[in-house]
Amino acid sequence: MVEISQIQAEARKIFDTYDVQYILGYSNESFGIQPVPFFAKKKPDVNHLIFSPFCVNNLTMYLKNYEGNEKIGIVVKGCDSRSLIQLIIEKRIPRENLVIIGISCGGVIDQKKFQTKFPDVIGSVDVVEKDDLFIFTIAGKKHQVSKKEVLLEKCIHCEYPTPLLYDVLLGEKKQPFKSESYSDVKQIEAKSLQEKWNFWEKQFSRCIRCYACRNICPVCFCKECSAEQLNPQWLRRSVTISENTVWHLTRALHVAGRCTGCGECERVCPMSIPLMLLNKKMLKEVKDLFEYTPGISVDAKPLLAAYKPDDPEDCII
Amino acid sequence: MKSYTIKKDKVSDFISHLIKKNIVWGPVKQDDTIIYKQINTPQEITLDFLKVKIPPKTIVFPQTETLVRFHKEKDVTTETPSPEKKDAIIFGVRPCDAKSFLLFDAVFKGDCEDPFYCSKRATTILIGLTCINPPMNCFCSSVGGNPDDPSGLDILLTDMTDSYYMEIITERGEHLLKDFIGRTEATQQDTKKRDTICTQAKKSIKRQVSVERIDSILDAIFDSPYWETIAQRCIGCGICTFLCPTCHCFDIQDESSQNKGARVRIWDSCMFSEYSCHASGYNPRATQMNRVRNRIYHKFNYLLKNNQVLGCVGCGRCIDECPVHIDIVEIIKNARGVKQ
Repeated sequence: MVEISQIQAEARKIFDTYDVQYILGYSNESFGIQPVPFFAKKKPDVNHLIFSPFCVNNLTMYLKNYEGNEKIGIVVKGCDSRSLIQLIIEKRIPRENLVIIGISCGGVIDQKKFQTKFPDVIGSVDVVEKDDLFIFTIAGKKHQVSKKEVLLEKCIHCEYPTPLLYDVLLGEKKQPFKSESYSDVKQIEAKSLQEKWNFWEKQFSRCIRCYACRNICPVCFCKECSAEQLNPQWLRRSVTISENTVWHLTRALHVAGRCTGCGECERVCPMSIPLMLLNKKMLKEVKDLFEYTPGISVDAKPLLAAYKPDDPEDCII
Repeated sequence: MKSYTIKKDKVSDFISHLIKKNIVWGPVKQDDTIIYKQINTPQEITLDFLKVKIPPKTIVFPQTETLVRFHKEKDVTTETPSPEKKDAIIFGVRPCDAKSFLLFDAVFKGDCEDPFYCSKRATTILIGLTCINPPMNCFCSSVGGNPDDPSGLDILLTDMTDSYYMEIITERGEHLLKDFIGRTEATQQDTKKRDTICTQAKKSIKRQVSVERIDSILDAIFDSPYWETIAQRCIGCGICTFLCPTCHCFDIQDESSQNKGARVRIWDSCMFSEYSCHASGYNPRATQMNRVRNRIYHKFNYLLKNNQVLGCVGCGRCIDECPVHIDIVEIIKNARGVKQ
């Protein structure tokens, strides 16, 4: 487990060694238990940096609109590092402009699950990881909880707990927790067309089109999103099942082969739409059809920009 | 006005009684989300909830509303959707959300009457439910509310474990009870019990913030770098505004295909860059800082000056749901300490 002093020491070193514009990390707010994204702009700001299994946000989304040439420091977990790799290979930010603090991650806590288990906790919560357990200290009292009970769903199936890209790694390298079996996707695949539609109709009809899924997504970085274009208007502003369906399917296809499965869209959806089912379906398709996994190597080419002379499909040439 | 008690096992009868003559909306559990839905049977309603995800504004000010339909054959014909004839009852409204209707009234019935809002509002009856267990981010008592505030409501129910205490607040509320026999007049003891529960509820609110002179405090720090430090982590989504019971901005668009279409109005959000963008491409609120600052000023400065009401009822939804945990209570609290 990563100590706060370690992360602050590394951040100080970064300010001493490089001329960084800021270091993107996490800090605590004065109220509540949820750490927030934090921009350390000067060396003294480093004192606010923290890390704990409550640090869920994927901070790489703040780099998707990166412009200029200044160096940025950033704290990444295993999953976040994959988004970062994807941003690098899609030329959103050059590798050499990044100073990366990697955190070997034991999984992060789902706020909803935590609050169901411990309602109305408002003071600070101390958390220690011990094998398959979290030990929470809430108001001086210790509670042992099996990790599985409170981890985000994506963490339970995490294949990359250790970042794939970093300048400095904090914590011991970790083995994958479990390989992704896509069992949830397979369950939907097994349904009839009508059953599938019944399922998705119910989900999409709840959508309020707040676009939090798009805005939180590291790889949703179009300067002008099709949802906003007026001439031609691809998507009506009316919030109806038809337009909502178009929106979610458009986004799923647009991030196919680019989505690394960080799960931020599903986490932030205020209407609890299971968006990761769509994204995981695309990840599975991309893997089956092209033997491609996004966000694994900075030397890879973006899936839809890559070409192999020995491609087995004759229609390519 | 009178007060009654109604046994919990009679609540279904009461709802059935209401359904007979009115359209009834109530909190319905859909997967993990509680939303207001039009109901046909009392069993669909759940009263075991803390907060309804989308505030009841959605019933008088729907996210998508058709203003006029048009159709072209030889000539162009138009058709305005006719207003619903029956009264609509919203069952299970929290006092904070009910209060937001008063703010809506100030805006939509103000200088210029909005016929679409006014026709629905005139036929909407609100049956409230005291917030006996205010969730974590609630702060209604800091912004002039209370867990049992009757403002805007027609009837207020308070959960007393085996029964509800039923306060009739308006004549319309009284009228609803006509021919309904499953109630008894409240005794002094009932009233005492209700008061204890409500005092306890108010005490259990975890968050407090002073809004005293907040308009002038904000006036002095409009150009402060404070707003940039708050906004830098904002992702610019519409959650805080769409789920806000008082946010009421909208866009109007003509949506047509071939020879027919409709003019619709749709919720808009000042958090979107498109919101303030001019046709020329110029955007007076060019950055997210401008937008976040506008949200706070609209609620705690502009509405106070223009309509003499606070634009926040303290429901805490924007705090609960923000993907990056931007916290309006902390923003207002810390604004006091910002150097002018």
